[in-house]
Amino acid sequence: MNFLAPISPSLVAKVAALSAALLIIAYILKMRRRSFEVPFSTLWQRVLKEKEATSLWRHLKRLLSLLLLLTMLAGLLLASLDPVTGGSREAARSIVFIVDTSASMKTLDAGDDGTQTRMAAAISKVDSYLASLRSDDAIMIMRMDGRATPLSRFHGDIPKHRKLLKALIASDTPADLHASLSAAADALRWRKNPLIVLVGDGAYSEESLANVSWKEQPFKEQSKQSPQISPQLKGATNTLLASVDLSGIEVRYAPVGHTGDNVGIISFNVRRYISNKLNYEVYIEVHNFGHEPATRRLVLYSGASEIDVRELHLAPGQTLARIYPDLGGGNESVLRARIESVANSQDDAFALDDEAWALIPESKRQKVLLVSEDNLYIEGALLIFDYIDVDKLSPSEYEKALDVGSLPPYDSVIYHAYTPDRVLPAPTHLLYFAPEGPHSPFKTIGTLERGRITFVSPTHPITRWLEMSDVNFDSLTGFRVDESLGEVALFKSIRTPIAAAKKEGRRKVAAFGFGLKGTDIMLRVAFPLLMVNTLDWFAGSDSDLITTYATGHTIRVPLDGTYGVSEAVVSDPSGKTHKAPIRDGYASFFADTVGVHTLVASKEGQEVARIVLACNLSNPTESDIEPSTKLLLGGQELAAPAFVASPVRQSLWTYLCFMVLLLLIVEWYTFNRRITV
Amino acid sequence: MPFSRTSSNVFQSLCKRDEHLLVARVKKPPASADDRSSLFDEQFLKKLEYLHMVSRKTFVGQNRADRRMRKIGSGIEFADHRKYSTGDDFRYIDWNVYGRIDKLLLRLFEEEEDLHIYILLDASKSMLIGDPIKLHYAMQMAAALTYIGLANLDRVGIVPFSESLQTSLPVARGKQRIFKVFDFLRGIEAGGSTKLEAATQSFIHRYKRKGLVVIISDFYDPGGFEEGINSLRYNGFEPFVLQIYDEQEVNPNFHGDLTLVDCETGVAKEITVTKSLIEAYKREHEKYCGELSDFCSQKHIPYFRTHTKIAFDQLVLKIFRLGGFLK
Repeated sequence: MNFLAPISPSLVAKVAALSAALLIIAYILKMRRRSFEVPFSTLWQRVLKEKEATSLWRHLKRLLSLLLLLTMLAGLLLASLDPVTGGSREAARSIVFIVDTSASMKTLDAGDDGTQTRMAAAISKVDSYLASLRSDDAIMIMRMDGRATPLSRFHGDIPKHRKLLKALIASDTPADLHASLSAAADALRWRKNPLIVLVGDGAYSEESLANVSWKEQPFKEQSKQSPQISPQLKGATNTLLASVDLSGIEVRYAPVGHTGDNVGIISFNVRRYISNKLNYEVYIEVHNFGHEPATRRLVLYSGASEIDVRELHLAPGQTLARIYPDLGGGNESVLRARIESVANSQDDAFALDDEAWALIPESKRQKVLLVSEDNLYIEGALLIFDYIDVDKLSPSEYEKALDVGSLPPYDSVIYHAYTPDRVLPAPTHLLYFAPEGPHSPFKTIGTLERGRITFVSPTHPITRWLEMSDVNFDSLTGFRVDESLGEVALFKSIRTPIAAAKKEGRRKVAAFGFGLKGTDIMLRVAFPLLMVNTLDWFAGSDSDLITTYATGHTIRVPLDGTYGVSEAVVSDPSGKTHKAPIRDGYASFFADTVGVHTLVASKEGQEVARIVLACNLSNPTESDIEPSTKLLLGGQELAAPAFVASPVRQSLWTYLCFMVLLLLIVEWYTFNRRITV
Repeated sequence: MPFSRTSSNVFQSLCKRDEHLLVARVKKPPASADDRSSLFDEQFLKKLEYLHMVSRKTFVGQNRADRRMRKIGSGIEFADHRKYSTGDDFRYIDWNVYGRIDKLLLRLFEEEEDLHIYILLDASKSMLIGDPIKLHYAMQMAAALTYIGLANLDRVGIVPFSESLQTSLPVARGKQRIFKVFDFLRGIEAGGSTKLEAATQSFIHRYKRKGLVVIISDFYDPGGFEEGINSLRYNGFEPFVLQIYDEQEVNPNFHGDLTLVDCETGVAKEITVTKSLIEAYKREHEKYCGELSDFCSQKHIPYFRTHTKIAFDQLVLKIFRLGGFLK
């Protein structure tokens, strides 16, 4: 019998000693007796004289009562130590079962007929290990997919572990072996007989397999002797810190799965042409991970419609890249690529990478209103866009149109050398050249004579690809930019912002502290690019090149117009929702499901931003489902777990409690029946 | 003489007197369990009258005294012969017998005189125990027997005792004395331990006239009861034993760790009362009562044992039926 000892044995011993002492003292101390008057005590004395012969037995009966109580106390204290049968204390181990729940564990190649997933096989395998563990082994089950998730603390309650185990399902993310080993090693640190059992298909990156240290890290050895790390070790420290320290920990590997035939999409993306935002091109990469040549049909869907079907012949290990140029038309924004089996070919055992999604960046013709006196430079710059429709009004015509309310809705308005007191309502975006006066979108703080641009924002979409250092200006208007309100300085002259941008809900506003007179900017390449970037930013297509993401990573997505909003709601492909925090206009969430996700940010009940993005497995390591029967971890081959069936473990505390209850009833009965008094 | 009618009239008039007394007693502050104010109420008196009527049916003589003493004396009814001794009165020599058998024998006659009844009432502390209190029951019994004795023209006296004799009610006759008897009984002060032998010794020295001695007691005397009763016998008295006990004394219902205190001696004993101990006690109590009963049986002494739950009049009737008190 062993003790799991959820309560410190020393504490139990103290409580036992104190309680036993109190009990004995209570028995030694005479009870305060009731006084009872009798008419003739002589009769009682005669009786007692007769009974004196049996007084020893009477004392023994009282002793029996004490013994009963002491037995009850001992039973309760013993129960608090959680005794269990089976196993020996000397061999107690601390075991972490790392169960691979990565995407490759969805492969259907386990079981006798190959209809069982690797996940089911892994669960079955761990379950059999649990059945043969010793009673005093402390166990933790850890889930390994894109993240390492311990499912429990160390304990020996097998039914609880089994319950957790049965609930495991494979995810759509690749396995993060490094994180899982690190977490397991940290959990096992300082525990006796540590053991890690890795149950999976071995589809792990070479880097994570190599980044392991079996020896105790030298700076740790030294830190035991001296807290100062020697200079020669400082260089090695960073490298060693990045590796998983498995010194003193035994690691075993239990492989699952047996097939390696798989053809999967390892890359799928779409982008609009910069010059022609109405058209787009698609890039697909397909790889044959099997040992046999494979023939597959690659179908490209736009929404529910097939837009292309190709038959691919792939040699073992071959990667085929396909580009679909000049695609356009249609209103569907979701593209889907799918690999299908052809006649006489076998179905893919790993279906997750047979399908991929991509989103066509949103683009539509913008209606732009230019409010300016005649200026060929700006009008000419706008002419180069074939995806915008430009109307031009002079400031006086603009104000008359506002008065009569004859202005149609516009996507964007450009005010050149004119600062109106009335602007079109949101969500019309506004671009100002040389604003002035109280109606300037940014407060003006003065004029700089012959200033130059010394700072260009490196991150803002408007300033992408711009070189402004050699542009000359006769005069520049400085702005006051309040970053706490979400305002951003685009250009600065020394320290003075001379161009700024901000978001007001769904409206975006940009202002340049210069006009197109007294400057040579319109003669530079930067000028049309500045206009393109600004109108693209207005159109919300600054994330053109980033429409698909890989699962298993934390995705950081820009969400325009989310000033003052702290979180967005993410809806995954299955419809489940969860929260994603927003910081600095970016929402972050962990992508764990393949498919199309929707992020919606709301403020005071009003939707202020929405973005749709696609997540694909896109992980060749995970798609390579060839199971590794042998695993080299840190250059050391991992042995198979060797669990020998042990006696059935049985927790005894419930029986002890029942025994105490029974004794309590016996004591109560005997006391009230005056048997033990 | 139509005694019953006369006695009934007297009884009614006496009841009115007693009613006055009862009211006077009720007005006293409420006493504890030893409240004797309602001991001898109207109902009690009615029961006494009834008992008296029953007792009359059992009487055989109506002469000088309603009952005869077993005493050889100067009566007219021949009783026996005995040898002549020097100093005997020549007048009582039976000459006829002398003529026939040539021996001097003296003729003996039964002396007829009124009976003296002494009621020795145990007033020790142990008599204050019980529900109802044994002393109250004993008082009622004493009153009942006294009334019957008085009504039968006997001379009755009441002698309370504990360690020794207490102030007694002098021997007297006449039914009208019953209220004095009640007052006397109410005024008895209980206390002390039971010492029957000492009490009977004092009694013998105090009362020279022989008679019936009714001992009403629980007989819880550590010194034993034999010597006390024998003293009476040896001195020509006719003992009549009436043992009173409380049911609680026979069937104690207490358990556990207790300190038993003897109410008379104050001796304390710490004991743990168990079921088996109770059973042993019951056996011991029965044995003790059995000893008393056997003793009385051997000595031809009338013996009655009762507990306080039995109505006193039923006990009196039982005594009538079994004989010993009425002759």
